Amino acid sequence: MKFDIINVLNILKLMPVSLVLLIVSNLLLIIGFVVGKIILHKNKNAVKFFAYFSVVICVLFAIYFISIIWFALCNLFTPQAVYSVVLMIFLFMPFIIGRFATYERIHFYTNIQILTLIASLILAFGLAV
Amino acid sequence: MKDIWKKPNFIRVIVLGQSLDFEFVHEYQCKRAVLLFHGMTGSPFEMKKMGRALFEADFDVFCYCLPGHGTSPINIKTVRWQDWYNDSVNHYKTLSEKYAEVYMGGLCMGGVLALAIAAEHEGVKGIVSLSTTLYLDGWTIPWYNFFMPLGLHTILRYYYSFPEREPYGLKNEVLRKKIAALQKRNTEALDNYPMSCIYELLKLSKFARKNMCKVTTPVLLMHAKQDDLTSTKGSKFVYNNIKSEIKNYIELEDSYHLVVMDNERDYVFKTSIDFLNSLSDFAPGLESGQVAESAGV
Repeated sequence: MKFDIINVLNILKLMPVSLVLLIVSNLLLIIGFVVGKIILHKNKNAVKFFAYFSVVICVLFAIYFISIIWFALCNLFTPQAVYSVVLMIFLFMPFIIGRFATYERIHFYTNIQILTLIASLILAFGLAV
Repeated sequence: MKDIWKKPNFIRVIVLGQSLDFEFVHEYQCKRAVLLFHGMTGSPFEMKKMGRALFEADFDVFCYCLPGHGTSPINIKTVRWQDWYNDSVNHYKTLSEKYAEVYMGGLCMGGVLALAIAAEHEGVKGIVSLSTTLYLDGWTIPWYNFFMPLGLHTILRYYYSFPEREPYGLKNEVLRKKIAALQKRNTEALDNYPMSCIYELLKLSKFARKNMCKVTTPVLLMHAKQDDLTSTKGSKFVYNNIKSEIKNYIELEDSYHLVVMDNERDYVFKTSIDFLNSLSDFAPGLESGQVAESAGV
């Protein structure tokens, strides 16, 4: 299938804003964590980089959480309510991972975080389709 | 006056390994010891002047690097608040076996540690808690602080560090410049606050707040009105919630967070010594065994 930007825009227009926000923030979070993991592996003392990195990730997390709640509330009484409930699980995942994370196993827990973000992205794409 | 009050010929300073731990011990058998705790991301260096002042007032003084401090900046991210607490309790227990009176003093997180220990150990004779950090609500906390819970409770806490910046907890501008220059050279004191460390401090603070009502030890609290890291709310909370009969709270007018180094440090030292002497049975000028009147400050 030929990639057509106009088609993509048309699909985006049909999607609820909350879902678009969720997909975009999700994608950026995955990219962010992958970049963060690579930089952390190369230079553990890049304090300035991680200061800006963390602020950006925090903003993205905030958008991610808001879009999940927004989407779930909008679809509370629709046939998609079940998916909304499943999506709500991802709201708590970063905090559950954070609860168990340790500095010694930071790479492992970052991988888990990335995997959960990929899972929520797949679910969001599923809802979009 | 007994012989024990004779001034020592020299100070026995024990520097342990490469760290900045210090022990100021009198040559004679001193019966009073003060265990000092430094602040979060700091080192015993910041307590050294206070230690010396207490030593000159006839106290044996001990100050050790808290776990994770004084070595690689990475190490501080691997410690839990229980490590700080257990290590400090061990030092306290060791001293309480050797000395008739054991006092504790601390700056910032050190003050919280001292209070947390006193809540569980009734043998502590007295506490001097300076710039007690139960909350991070000082005026230099960044504007984006409201994002903090997102960082604290996710894996981001192992990525983010608050950069240490002006005024470095000091109102005295000359000292501030010196500390800034020193910080560039000194690897023992960190130039940033890792968020994981703040996470552990807040957990320790929560533990201390929960147990505050168990504190019956005499407590002296000193806090700068213009503290840049933590407002006076923390010290006021301690003052209002401890069950100590002797408790004093003093607000400092001309200092920031590092009250043991700032403009009013001499006042802080003198007030601390007067307070501890007022609690002591072995204060200079008293015959051994004569109970000092706990008049407070």
